[in-house]
Amino acid sequence: MKAFTNVFLAHFKQFTRDKGALFFTFIFPIMLILIFGWVFHDPGAQTFKVGFVDQGSPQSASLITQGLDSITLDKNEKVFEIRKGTVDELLQSLRDGDLAAVIVIPESMDTSIRQGQRTDVQVYYDPSRTSSQQILIPILNQVINGIDRQLQGSSQLIGMEERSIQSRDLRYMDYLLPGILAMSLMFTGVYAGLPIIQQRQAHIIKRLGATPLRRSMLVFGDLTFRMILVLLTAALIVLVGRLAFDVKMVGNWLSFCGLVILGTLVFTSLGYLMAAFVKTEEAFIPIINIITMPMMFLSGTFFEVTNMPSFIEPVVRIMPLTYLGDGFRQIMVAGTPLHSMTTDIAILVGWAVVCLAVTIRFFRWD
Amino acid sequence: MNTRPETVIEVSNLVKAYGNVKAVNQISFAVAKGEVFGLLGPNGAGKTTAVEIIEGLRTADAGMVTVLGMDVSKDVRSIKERIGIQPQQPALFPTLTVQEIVNFFRSMYKKSNSASQIIELVSLQESRKVLFKSLSGGQQQRLSVALAFVNNPDIVFLDEPTTGLDPQARRAMWEVIWAFRRTGKTVFLTTHFMEEAERLCDRVAIMDYGQIIALESPQRMIDEHIRESTIQFKMTNCPNPEALAKLTGVTKVVNEGDEIILQTNNIPSSISALLELASARSSKLSELFVRQATLEDVFLKLTGKRIRD
Repeated sequence: MKAFTNVFLAHFKQFTRDKGALFFTFIFPIMLILIFGWVFHDPGAQTFKVGFVDQGSPQSASLITQGLDSITLDKNEKVFEIRKGTVDELLQSLRDGDLAAVIVIPESMDTSIRQGQRTDVQVYYDPSRTSSQQILIPILNQVINGIDRQLQGSSQLIGMEERSIQSRDLRYMDYLLPGILAMSLMFTGVYAGLPIIQQRQAHIIKRLGATPLRRSMLVFGDLTFRMILVLLTAALIVLVGRLAFDVKMVGNWLSFCGLVILGTLVFTSLGYLMAAFVKTEEAFIPIINIITMPMMFLSGTFFEVTNMPSFIEPVVRIMPLTYLGDGFRQIMVAGTPLHSMTTDIAILVGWAVVCLAVTIRFFRWD
Repeated sequence: MNTRPETVIEVSNLVKAYGNVKAVNQISFAVAKGEVFGLLGPNGAGKTTAVEIIEGLRTADAGMVTVLGMDVSKDVRSIKERIGIQPQQPALFPTLTVQEIVNFFRSMYKKSNSASQIIELVSLQESRKVLFKSLSGGQQQRLSVALAFVNNPDIVFLDEPTTGLDPQARRAMWEVIWAFRRTGKTVFLTTHFMEEAERLCDRVAIMDYGQIIALESPQRMIDEHIRESTIQFKMTNCPNPEALAKLTGVTKVVNEGDEIILQTNNIPSSISALLELASARSSKLSELFVRQATLEDVFLKLTGKRIRD
C-alpha cells in the first residue's frame, strides 16, 4: 500500500511538473470548446431539414407539420425545416446528405384513423449520421406519439402548444462538448504509453526492478492516477460547458462517470499496447498521431461526418472514439442510462479486452 | 583469517547464452561476508549479464546462484529486500527532486534508512529540493549510488560507482565504500578503474569471453602474473643497450627516443648497478622513475586489452 501510494504520488508530481502534459490535458480541450463555441456560437445552429411527403392524408399531414413546427429554439426559430416533394426525390436528397430525414404520411392514414385503426408514419433516416440517431429520431417519435395519444384520447384535434416535448436546446455545443470530452479521454489514455516507454528507454524501470516493488503496483498506480486525471478533466469540461455555454447534463452522473472510467480503460489499454510495440519516445509520438488524429476527425468530434466514402465507413464503425463520443452524447443530451447503450458498451469493452490481451502477450519491461 | 568466513554469494556453473554466444560460460565463485569483491573485464566480457543474474534481474540458462543463503531463482523478492543495487546508468525520474526520489525508493522496502542519512551519505544536503534533471552528472551519479544503500542492505552491488566523478568526489565515494565494509557488510563492485579496484577490493575476478580467468587479491595477482618492474630514465653519455642489459636484474631494455626503459626483476640491485654505471661514466641521470606493476598490467597481460577500450 505504501508502495502503491508512492507510485501514485510520483506519477502525480511528475505530471504537475510537466507543462506540456498539463496544457494538453486541461487547457487544450477548454480552448477547443471556447474557440469552437464562439466561432459557431449561433444557438440555432442545430436545425434539421426534413423531407415531408403526404401521400393523400391531408388531416394527418397537417397535424404532423404543426407538431414539427411547434418545436422551436430560444428565439422562436424552428428546429425543423420542412421540404415537401415526392418520395423518390426526397429520398435521393436524404442519400445526398441534404436532408436529415424523410417523413412519409401514407395514403390510408386519414381513413384508418377515422376507423380507429393505427397506421404508422414512415420515417427514413441515415443511421450513420449520429445526430439523426441521437436527437432527431427521438424528437420525431415524441411528436408522432404525442399526436397519436391525442387522437386516441379525443376526436377533437387539440393544438400542440401545451406539450413542450423539447426540454433542451439542441445546439452545436451540445454536440461538441461530449465529443471534446471523449477526445480528451482518448489523449490522456493513449499517452499512458509514453512514460512507460521513456522510463524503459532511460532504464528507470530496470532500476525499479532491482527493488522489491511489484510491477503490478506500477500499473495500478498509473491506472489510478489516470482515472483521477480524467475524472478531473471531465469535471472541468462539463463545468466550462455549463458556465460558458449553458450546456446541461440531462443524464445521470453515475452513468456519466461509468462511461468516463470505461473510456479511460479502453484508451489507457491502447496506450499500453503501443508501449508493448514501440521502443522509443521518438517513434511513439508520430505513431500516436497516426492513430489519434484520424480518429479525432472521423469519429465526428467537432462536426458530424456525413457523406463519407464507403471505404471509410467500416473504419469509423470500428473506432472506439466513435462509440465513446456517441455514448457521452446519449448520456448528456438524451439522458440515456449507461446500461441501455449496449452497442457502445460492447464495442468499448471489446476494445479494452483485446488491447489488454495483446499487451499482456507482447509487453516487455526491459 | 583463522575462521572460515561466511559466504554471502555463491555462484556455481552459471551459464547464459544469447543465440550462439555464451555471454556467461560456466562461471563459479564465492564472495565472503565483509569483503569488497571486484569483477573486472573488458566490454562484452559478460560482466553485466553475470551481475544481473546474481541480482535476480535476469534468469540463468543453467547453474545456481545463492545470495544470503537464498536461491535467486526462487526467493528473489526476499533477496531484493536485503541487497542494494546501483546500475551503471544513473537513470531516475527527471522531474522529481532528490528528496522525493529518496523517499520513493525508501517506500519500496520494509525497512529503510532515513532520507537524511541517505542524502548525507553522498553530501547532497544542499540539493535536497533540486529536480534530478537539474543535478550535475556527478551529483546524479552520487544519488544513484546512495539509493543502493536506502534499505541498509547486507550486500551492495555497485556498477561503476565513480564514473563521472571528479577526483575529490571519487575519493569521498571510496570512503563511503570503506565505511560500509567496516560495518561487516559486503560490496560487489564492477569498475573500469584499475586503481580503484586495486585500492578498494579485497579480491578481484577478471572475466573475459564469459569466463573467469583470474581470481585473487590484487597484490597477489600482480605478484603472480608480473615479475618485472620498470625503471625509466634519461641519461647523458648513454652506454649502448648491451651494457645496460648486463646490469643486475635487468631482463629487457627498450630505447624510446632519448628515454630508456629497463625491465627488471630486482629493483634495488638494478638501481644501484645503474647508479654505479652512471658515476663511472660521469653520466647524468634525469627523469628517473620506478614503476611497480599494477593491476592494469595484469589485465593487459591476461586479456590482451586495455580495459578502457
